[in-house]
Amino acid sequence: MSSSTEQAVAAEAISADLLGFVERQTKASVTADLDLFGSGLVSSLFAMQLVVHVESTFGVSVQGEDLKLDNFRTVNAITDLVLRLRGNGDG
Amino acid sequence: MADPYAVAAELVTQAVGTRADEWDRAGRLPGDVVRHLAAQGVLCPDVPAEFGGMGLTSGELGALTAHAGGLCSSLRSLMTSQGMAAWAIRRLGDDRQKEAFVRRLASGATAAIAFSEIGAGSDLSAMTTSVTLSGDRVEVSGTKVWVTGAAYADLIVVFGRHGDGGAVVVVPADAPGVTVTPVGDPLGCRAAGHAEVELDAVTLPADHMLGGAGLPMEWLVTSVLTHGRLSVAWGCVGILRACLAAAVRHAGTREQFGKPLADHQLVARHLAELHVAEQASTLMCEHASRRWDDGSPEQVGAAVAAKHFAATQAAKGAASAVQVLASAAARDGHVVARAYRDAKLMEIIEGSSEISQLLLARQARELWT
Repeated sequence: MSSSTEQAVAAEAISADLLGFVERQTKASVTADLDLFGSGLVSSLFAMQLVVHVESTFGVSVQGEDLKLDNFRTVNAITDLVLRLRGNGDG
Repeated sequence: MADPYAVAAELVTQAVGTRADEWDRAGRLPGDVVRHLAAQGVLCPDVPAEFGGMGLTSGELGALTAHAGGLCSSLRSLMTSQGMAAWAIRRLGDDRQKEAFVRRLASGATAAIAFSEIGAGSDLSAMTTSVTLSGDRVEVSGTKVWVTGAAYADLIVVFGRHGDGGAVVVVPADAPGVTVTPVGDPLGCRAAGHAEVELDAVTLPADHMLGGAGLPMEWLVTSVLTHGRLSVAWGCVGILRACLAAAVRHAGTREQFGKPLADHQLVARHLAELHVAEQASTLMCEHASRRWDDGSPEQVGAAVAAKHFAATQAAKGAASAVQVLASAAARDGHVVARAYRDAKLMEIIEGSSEISQLLLARQARELWT
């Protein structure tokens, strides 16, 4: 089990990658708590690209119940999802 | 162990033989051919070995799809549909659903995938088919049109409305309330088993509904359509190859005005353009498949580009091939006449040329702004 410090470092790295990805794709400046879909910044088409990016970059599989809007609404929400899926994967 | 691609390609070659013309005229693939290929896992050969599949990469699947597309676009259409159905379940399903359905699809069951409705073609947000959960049951009601392969399918993967978004349900074709009515005399891919599927309050155990229920419809369809677009694009490469082979053979042997047709400059130009169209389409498809195999988010746009380009080239190239072969190909069933009709449909399905262009224009603005 990761210590809380390690967890925080991991969260920061994940969040930084996601912010970079979304900013590259949207050419807009984004904060970790911005509602990506509510803001109209990203299209629904982009949504699946985001899922694929998360899976390929962080080595997780987002499926079944985890495939829901709230898990992808903000960079913070995606970061939490990745941390949770990684935790599950490691047992 | 033998190369799974080579095994699959040989199975397709053997199954089709020289019968594609006959199947086109009859508007039907023989049931035993469909069963045999389904049992071998050839209809969705990218299903991983852990589910009993052949485990082809997207690049290998593409090469196989082009091979099938060059022989028989109706069979290739079945592969497109079954491939999308299996991918939808792999993409959206949980472990239990994948174990239950994907394994069946890799080992004998056949599948279709149902998006379009009378009022919802390009605009899938206008779907009216409803998916309603009630306790441990899910109910599906609506009418789907132009469902490729439905006439042969054991399972139909149905998209419908659910709450504010969409949902996807795996419907057995023999469930009470399901009526499958084949489309009469389709323009192209005549033996692909297109059908209307009526779902009259079809009630199933709730675990037939895949994950992602309630997501916006575009989320649900995008990944599945990307799989389908890649398949159609590769199928168009096959159409171009079949047309090239037929046009080169004919132009090299038939003589008019004392020399082979290919030595007449205006005919030679048709061969040149077909040759380039085949190469460029292949490269676009290879690029898109690599993006898929790498898990790159660019796969979505690359698949739209490859599908749009290859379908346009196939429609143009098939028309040129008919022009070169002229009366030799001007009858139903002929490989070039089939290509001409089949390629036109490829400009319509899995995103019409116009819808593809809208998506590509948006992509261009994102990249070049």
